[in-house]
Amino acid sequence: MKPYSLSLLIIFIILFDNYTITQEQTVKENPFSQSKFVPDISFIIDASYLYHNIKNHEFEELQIPGISSLHSNATETHNHTHITNQKGFNLNYGELYISATADPFFDLTGILHLSKSGLEIEEGYFVTRKLPLGFQLKGGKFYSGFGKINEQHPHIWDFVEQPLIFNSFFGSEGLNETGVQLNWIAPTKFFLSTGVEVFQGENEPSFGTQGFSIGSNEIEAIEHPNLLTGFISTSLDIDDFTGLLKFSIASGKKREVHTHYSETEHEENAISAKTNIFGISITGKYLIDPIKSLSFQTEYLYRTVKGNKYSYDSTAATVYDLERNQSGLYSQIVYKFAKRWRFGARYEFLENNFLRLNNISEKLPSYLPRYSAMIDFNPTEFSRIRFQYTYDRSRYLLEDLNYSIKAIHQITLQINLSIGAHGAHPF
Amino acid sequence: MKKLSFFIIYSFLLLSAHSNELNVITTYPYIASIVENIGGDKVQVTALASAKWDPHTILPKPSYIAQLRKADLLIINGAQLEIGWLPQLIRQANNPKIHFESTGFLDLSKFVNLIDVPKNISRASGDVHPEGNPHYYMDYMNLYQIAEAIKNKLTELNPENQRYFTENLNKFKEKLNGKIQNWEAKIKNLYGIKVIEYHKIFDYFIKRAGLVLAGTIEPLPGIPPSSKHIEAMEKLIMMENIKFILQDVYNPDDAANYLSKKHNIKMLKLPHDVGAVDGAKDIFSLFDFIIERLNND
Repeated sequence: MKPYSLSLLIIFIILFDNYTITQEQTVKENPFSQSKFVPDISFIIDASYLYHNIKNHEFEELQIPGISSLHSNATETHNHTHITNQKGFNLNYGELYISATADPFFDLTGILHLSKSGLEIEEGYFVTRKLPLGFQLKGGKFYSGFGKINEQHPHIWDFVEQPLIFNSFFGSEGLNETGVQLNWIAPTKFFLSTGVEVFQGENEPSFGTQGFSIGSNEIEAIEHPNLLTGFISTSLDIDDFTGLLKFSIASGKKREVHTHYSETEHEENAISAKTNIFGISITGKYLIDPIKSLSFQTEYLYRTVKGNKYSYDSTAATVYDLERNQSGLYSQIVYKFAKRWRFGARYEFLENNFLRLNNISEKLPSYLPRYSAMIDFNPTEFSRIRFQYTYDRSRYLLEDLNYSIKAIHQITLQINLSIGAHGAHPF
Repeated sequence: MKKLSFFIIYSFLLLSAHSNELNVITTYPYIASIVENIGGDKVQVTALASAKWDPHTILPKPSYIAQLRKADLLIINGAQLEIGWLPQLIRQANNPKIHFESTGFLDLSKFVNLIDVPKNISRASGDVHPEGNPHYYMDYMNLYQIAEAIKNKLTELNPENQRYFTENLNKFKEKLNGKIQNWEAKIKNLYGIKVIEYHKIFDYFIKRAGLVLAGTIEPLPGIPPSSKHIEAMEKLIMMENIKFILQDVYNPDDAANYLSKKHNIKMLKLPHDVGAVDGAKDIFSLFDFIIERLNND
């Protein structure tokens, strides 16, 4: 042992000797330093304390009728609404944002989403800088320009949760897809912008591409890309009021497969259909004075799904004609009444809940509302503390093919903080 | 069908019709006022922000995107005054001419010396600007460099009008010389007077006029006063002989009103930009107004 430790000592002495020499040298600037090229980096944390009048495990069994796709199977609950529903303290997410100009031709942005389930790429996209005639090309994985709130990141939402209608049609992550977007700003006096997007179309609640075989029915997978969207928006300024109007459309094929095995049963359900979604978005802001302002945002979405449903239950395979229409709206108003204080109210609902299998309509609750009120305090633009009350009448318990409503009273205390260099947000 | 397509093409041409005038967009009205002086009828200039609002947090209206889309030149105040609202608008405007590295972009803060450059940067010190206090145009001596930089940029983009722009610059400088003589005569009386202000927006003027800044109503930039800070201000007022509270037009004036009434100090609502008050019609009357108010009260 001893010779080893001796040689170790010698090595340390040599290292230390070298180290002192290099320390003298560090007075010089590193000629290969690239620290000036550090991109804008910011980190956001969102945490909340949550209370509702339902037990956690009961909450997970609730579903929004007709939205959970293959609801006809009573034992199967598919809740696509992953809002934080655990009572008590929640770390909702962390978001790491990195953005910079890559070269004269591209800007690059990456947004990493940290949650309990790990780290995932929420967005990673490039945007062109030099296209002529008012065009811009965006490519990668990003939030679709469909509608208004879909592109807005959760930390700038005026309420804790995503609106019901977006949650129902696109899931808790919104319409976030891989593909390209071409947008154009018209050379007009007033604002006029339009864009088209081509995506893979994997969004589970409304689209999807997988093939399946049920009984003797074999359905091939859909070729990518599967989803096409388009939108056009224009704005209006009247004195200190600014309004923005946007029409959006998304169209693609839908596939969904669910299997259910138990000791006694083997059930399979699948859908092969075509989905079209239309949206109208209106955003407005009125500056009352340099401190007070009133803003509102409302969006109406309408979805049609037409195709076939395939079922197999231990004994026989059945094919149905499937027709499903749904729509919904949210409307929110936020009043900034002091430099750091805002009050807001939101009313939203899903309606027209309409499902037909072989021309036979299923009975579904047709009006599913939710009401929210919030007050938030923004010490600076880098921190926000929000108190929100939500009265949710959209969730039901499905027992023996019967829906029974479970009204939820929910109180959330939310804190959102950001550090570092974060880009400004659009209107 | 043919008629329709003709109509569409025609209206497109109309919409995108390019006049010979240089289309200049400025972030704030004071820049537009200087550009009008230098560019004359060879440029068309529009300011995005209104002086009614807080210059740090301008609402990024979509109509600004439409204006930036068609701009030949974008002139900004810089020193991060626009950081909260402009970068996203530029990114959305799809106009490579006005990117920061392009010739159609001018950052005026690069031509003046900024004061209060913080040694250490932390947001614990509030909404600090790493490059220094960005309200440098409140020192009228900086207008020379600003006007010169604008003339050089206009000439670079529109060399055939070089003589015209130079003549206008000379006229501007002459007028400024006269005005400054007039202003300096008046601010002589103000030397050594102690003032407090709400936000550190008049610092350059305070320095130029020889006023003494005793404190700010904001405890830190961008943070409204707490009652404790107001108490501290009251102590300060009792200890020091403070003559004016300088209040801008966009921040809440209740604290200034309270201090002014309780301690019998004049509160002056001063314009920080062209158009902030009726009297400040252009870059010259902006300073006329401020100096008049300080002199007559």
